Amino acid sequence: MQKKSSVSSLTQPGQRTAFDRFMWQFNQLLKIDAMNLVILVVVILIGWSIISESIPNPARYLPSPLAVVLSSVDMMVKGLLPSYFSDTLTRLVIGSAIGLAAGIPFGLLLGLNRTVADMFHPMMNFFQSVSGIAIFPIVVIWYGNSDMTVLVVILYTSFFPIAFNVLSGVREIPIRYVNAARTLGASRYQVMKDVLFPGAMPHIATGSRLSIGFAWRAVIAGEMLAGRQGLGWMIFTGQDTDSTAEVILGMVMIGLTWIILDHYLLRPIEADTIERWGLVQR
Amino acid sequence: MNAVSAKLVVEGLSHHYPDEYTGESVHALEDINLELYEGELVSVVGPSGCGKSTLLNILAGLLPYKVGTASVDGNIIDGPGPDRGVVFQEHAILPWRTVAKNIGHGLEIRGILKSERDRRVQEFIDLVGLTGFEDKYPHELSGGMKQRCQVARTLCSDPVVMLMDEPFAAVDAQTRITLQEELNRIAQATQKTILFITHSVDEAAFLADRCLVFSARPGQLKEIVEINIPREKRIWADMNNDPDFITARDRILKSVREEVSVAKEE
Repeated sequence: MQKKSSVSSLTQPGQRTAFDRFMWQFNQLLKIDAMNLVILVVVILIGWSIISESIPNPARYLPSPLAVVLSSVDMMVKGLLPSYFSDTLTRLVIGSAIGLAAGIPFGLLLGLNRTVADMFHPMMNFFQSVSGIAIFPIVVIWYGNSDMTVLVVILYTSFFPIAFNVLSGVREIPIRYVNAARTLGASRYQVMKDVLFPGAMPHIATGSRLSIGFAWRAVIAGEMLAGRQGLGWMIFTGQDTDSTAEVILGMVMIGLTWIILDHYLLRPIEADTIERWGLVQR
Repeated sequence: MNAVSAKLVVEGLSHHYPDEYTGESVHALEDINLELYEGELVSVVGPSGCGKSTLLNILAGLLPYKVGTASVDGNIIDGPGPDRGVVFQEHAILPWRTVAKNIGHGLEIRGILKSERDRRVQEFIDLVGLTGFEDKYPHELSGGMKQRCQVARTLCSDPVVMLMDEPFAAVDAQTRITLQEELNRIAQATQKTILFITHSVDEAAFLADRCLVFSARPGQLKEIVEINIPREKRIWADMNNDPDFITARDRILKSVREEVSVAKEE
């Protein structure tokens, strides 16, 4: 009895403490996305600076944020950073564009026949699990340390996730939709165009985002191991020349580029597609 | 040879298929012979598992067969084709197409010009009572409206024969009665040749010119019941008192029930 009354008194309005009010206001503040991000970044930068100041030889082990900014200014002046950056981005765009352009029709074609689809499903799952870095050695054996090697690895890593996703999407399309189109006289191509492609649309969106994400990692790894240009190359040579600031700059660029690409391009496309087609397919 | 030519002819059709789980051979159909004449609505009833859906799938060209022949307008059936339209039991209209685009799909597949297509689509939208819903997506329609849309899609393609696989089984009782009366009106208006599969004896007797009763597995044509009631007289309010309807329905019911008890004993 006693306990019950004390609980109810706590939940009464007007009994909030100053601390509750403060927390409420603080939470309101935190709801602003940009504010969140700024606070987080400032905290990280301060922490990073403190660690950098307190260790011996920071230039070699962990240069301060300021040193990294200065190195970026230096590389901008020399024109190296824009050149490396555009190089890496070009590789990503070309590699993933070809990967998607090949992977989407491939997944659809495999999905045309249920038996073929069921047969290929585990195999495609196998290939998509062998990540970009794991197939590197064999591609280097084939093509040496060349731009070709980097391109092949990007193609591989972007092709399989999208093809696998499209195949899974096609397998989930109810067979009655295919039969309905066939009894209206649809050819195999028409079944693909009018049933399989629109039916697999949400999977195509998700698969594309996955593919480009994997391709991005593959580009960096490829440039590190077999390239002569780009952000990956910049990180790798930075290590050789003890330019730790350049190494960190490269890492920051990689992360920032992906966040911008994902947040402002890929994610909205995926969300729109899934929302629209999810509604349509309900 | 009949004076009126048969649109759909099935001769000596037998079919076995492997059971999905046990792999054992199931004897679904045995020596089926039937003819559908122009403008005729024939219903097929029988106990569950009597092979009536198997028959429809074979006629639709979705299921290959080895024994016997089936032909439409003299052309042997060896795959799906626009000469046979199918109305499926479950909603098989494409969710990403609007009502109008679903109904015009068959014409689109055949490359009919958009102006001609739009005209014909509107004609069938009006016929099935979907006027005003042209631009809706299937998820915005009720179950009954989805089936109207399927019927319109099939008719819009102008097949020689319309095959219907228990099309009203999944809708509520009130809607079903309305849809049955609508189909009767549509059959009268279009004079389409229709094969109508159902497990409902009332439905079979209400709609059919001839009702084929199938035996328990293996499905054989057991009995043909003729129902000579003019289409304009087929309204549920009157049919329930129509002696011809009652006689036909009771005969079909008796025949099906014998088969159900046979199926149970096995």
